[in-house]
Amino acid sequence: MFVEVAPPTQLAPAPPPSAGAGTPGPSHARRSAGSLARMLGRGVIPYLYLAPALGMLVVWIYRPLVQTANYSFYSWNLSPDQPAIPQGWHNYHRLFTLPEAGNSVLRTVAMIALLLPFTIIIPIIVGLLTAEVRGRARTVYQALIFAPFLVAPVASAAVWQWMLTPGSGIVNRATGLKTNWLHERLPALLSITGIAGWQMLGFAVLVVSAGLASINGDYSEAASVDGASRWQSTRWLTLPLLSPTLVFLVLTTVLLAGTWTFPLIDTLTQGGPVSATTNIYYLLWQYGFKSFDAGFAAAAGVIFFFGFTLVAAFLVWLSDRLTFHDN
Amino acid sequence: MSRITVENVTRRYGGAKAVDGVSLDIADGEFLVLLGPSGCGKSTLLRAIAGLLAPSEGRILVDGRDVTDIPARGRDLAMVFQSYALYPHLTVARNIGFPLRARRVRRADVRRRVAEVAEILDLSALLDRRPRELSGGQRQRVALGRALVRDPGAFLMDEPLSNLDAQLRTATRTEITELHRRLGRTFIYVTHDQVEAMTMATRVAVLNRGRLEQIGSPTEVYDQPASAFVAAFLGSPPMNLLDAELVTRDGQLHAVAPQVDVPLGIRVAAAGAPRDGGDPAAGRAIQLGIRPEHLLVTSATGGTGSTDSTDSGSAHETGPAVLRGTIRTVENLGSEEIAHCVIGATEVRVRARRPAGLTAGDAIALSARPEHTHLFDRDSGRRLVWQSDQPVSVPPARVPVTT
Repeated sequence: MFVEVAPPTQLAPAPPPSAGAGTPGPSHARRSAGSLARMLGRGVIPYLYLAPALGMLVVWIYRPLVQTANYSFYSWNLSPDQPAIPQGWHNYHRLFTLPEAGNSVLRTVAMIALLLPFTIIIPIIVGLLTAEVRGRARTVYQALIFAPFLVAPVASAAVWQWMLTPGSGIVNRATGLKTNWLHERLPALLSITGIAGWQMLGFAVLVVSAGLASINGDYSEAASVDGASRWQSTRWLTLPLLSPTLVFLVLTTVLLAGTWTFPLIDTLTQGGPVSATTNIYYLLWQYGFKSFDAGFAAAAGVIFFFGFTLVAAFLVWLSDRLTFHDN
Repeated sequence: MSRITVENVTRRYGGAKAVDGVSLDIADGEFLVLLGPSGCGKSTLLRAIAGLLAPSEGRILVDGRDVTDIPARGRDLAMVFQSYALYPHLTVARNIGFPLRARRVRRADVRRRVAEVAEILDLSALLDRRPRELSGGQRQRVALGRALVRDPGAFLMDEPLSNLDAQLRTATRTEITELHRRLGRTFIYVTHDQVEAMTMATRVAVLNRGRLEQIGSPTEVYDQPASAFVAAFLGSPPMNLLDAELVTRDGQLHAVAPQVDVPLGIRVAAAGAPRDGGDPAAGRAIQLGIRPEHLLVTSATGGTGSTDSTDSGSAHETGPAVLRGTIRTVENLGSEEIAHCVIGATEVRVRARRPAGLTAGDAIALSARPEHTHLFDRDSGRRLVWQSDQPVSVPPARVPVTT
C-alpha cells in the first residue's frame, strides 16, 4: 500500500538547532503591552527628526508666502504705524492693466533666452571637450571655469562697470567700439545678461560635467565597437542621455535668472536706461521698496509665483519623461 | 571570417601589468574562452582586441592586418558587454539596428535585417520595447542581436552570462554554442566560470595575473593542467595539491609526504646503478596533484574500531592505500558526496558516489592510480613530465618542464 508523504506544515515542530535550547520566551501579555508604546514611539520618532527642517520651511518659506498672498489684497506702504487698507482684487486689476508689468515680463523672457546659451550651449561644448581631460589637469580646468561663480555678484559688477566704461574701459579699447554699454538700451540688456552668463557658466559646466560623468561609459564603448563615429555617438547617445541634466539647467535658468541678474541690475543700471533692464523681479522690488506699494508688489509676487510654478511643473514633467533608468 | 592574432601584448596600469606578454593565435571559426579569476587580465585583453584599450606593447592582427592603431569601429568586430550596454533610450529595434544605422545602411535594409535577427533570437514581439521593460534574459538576447545584425568577422563576449540566473545561464550557454556552430564565426569569450569554458570552448586560454598559463582544448586543460594554478582553478572541487618529495623505492618513483606515499608508476634504473650513487629525482620538492574524483576510498573506519569496508566497486582493485587521514566533514551534493579529509598538514577532498558511507571523524584510506597523478614543481608551479628515454642521469634541475 502506498502512503502519501504529507507536505510540511507550519505545525510541524522544527528540530531544535542544538541540544539544550532555552525555555519558551516571555509571556504574551507582557509583550503586547510594551509593543503598543513601542509602536507609538516608532510612529513619532521620524517626525521628531523631521521637525526642525519642517519648522524652518514653515517659518521662512510658507508663512511669508501666505503673508504675501494676504498683503496682495491690501494697500499698505510698509510702515508699521500705517494701517493696511483692504483693496479686494484691485491690486491684481492694476497689475494686468499696467503696461509696465507686461513689458517687464517680455524683458525677463529676453534675459532668460540670452542666458540659455551660457547655461546650455557653451557648457555642453566645454563639457564634451573637457571630458577627455584627465587627472589634475581636469581639476585645474574646472576650477578655472568655476571661479567666476564664487565671485560675489556686486564685486564682479564693480569690475565689469570699470571694464565697460565708455572711452577708457578695456572692452571698448579692445574692440574699438564706442558703445556706452550700460547706458544704451540694447547694450545694457546684453551687458547684464552677459555678465550674469559669465558668472553662471562655471556652475553650468560643472553640472554638465557631472551629467556626462554619470553616463555609463559602456554606452560609448559599445557604440564605438558598433561602428559609430564620435559625432554619431554624441548625437545619438550622449545628448539624449544628458537631456535630463539639460532640462534641469533650463529649469534653473528660467527660475533663477531674476535672482542672478538682480544684484547686477541694481549695481550697474538700476533698471535703466528707460526701464531697458527692468525685469519682473526688479519691478517687484521697485514697487515694494521704492514706491512702498506693498500690496501691489505682493499681488505681482503671487502672480509670478503661480506662473513659475506652472513652468517648473512642466519642466519637471519633461525631465521625468526624458530620464531613462537602466540597470 | 577572422583569424585574430595577439602578439606579445602587454598592458600596463601605472607600474602594474594587467596583461603581461600574452600571445594567442585564434583561428577562424574558433570558440576561444579566456578563463581566469577576477583580476587576471582577461577582460583587459578582450578590450585590447576590441580596440577599446591600446596595448602598451605588442600587436593585434585581424586576418593578418595590423589593427593595433585602428580604433574599435574600424576592426569589424562585435562585442557583447557584461552589462549588455543597451542604449536605454532606444527601443529594442533601434538598439539592434544601431550598428547598421551607424554605417548609414538604408532604412528599409535596416528594418529587414533587424526583423531577421529578431526572428532568430525570438525577439520579434519585443521590438518596440525599451531595455528597462525587458527581463535579464531578453536584454541579453538584444545585446546578442546587436552583435549579430551586421555579420561581423568575430564576436567578443565579456562575461555575457554573469547577470543571468543559473537556469537561464545554462539555457543561454547552449544557445550561444548553437549560434557559434551555425555562424561558423570566430568567438572570443571571457569568463571566470569554468563550466562555461569547459562546455562552450573549442580552446581554453587560462590566464593568471596577466600571464597565459595554458592554452588547449577543454580536455587537455582539465586532464593535463600545465601548472598548479590551472589544476587548482579547474574542477569543482579543484584538484588536491599536496606538498611532497620524490623518493625511489624498488626502482619506482614515489611521491612521499606525511601520511602520503603514492607510487607514480614511473620506473627508474635498477638500484645502485647511477654513477653518483643517488637517484635522479629523489628529494625534489614537488606538488602532487590528484583530482577528487580520482581518489578511491579503500577503507573508512569509525573511531570505535568497527570495520565496515566501503567497496564502491573499484576500491579493491587499486591495491594498497596511499593516503591516510581523517574525515573532517562530508558534503552531500545529491548524486555524490564530497568528503573533506585531513591528510598530514593538508586538506584533501574526495568525491564519491552516494552512498559512500563516509562519516565525519572516521579514519580514511585512499588510493589513486598512477595515471591519475600529476606532478608540479613546487617553486615554479609548472607541470613535470617524465622523459622515459633519458632514464637515470637527468639532474633534478633539468627534469623537463612542459610549457
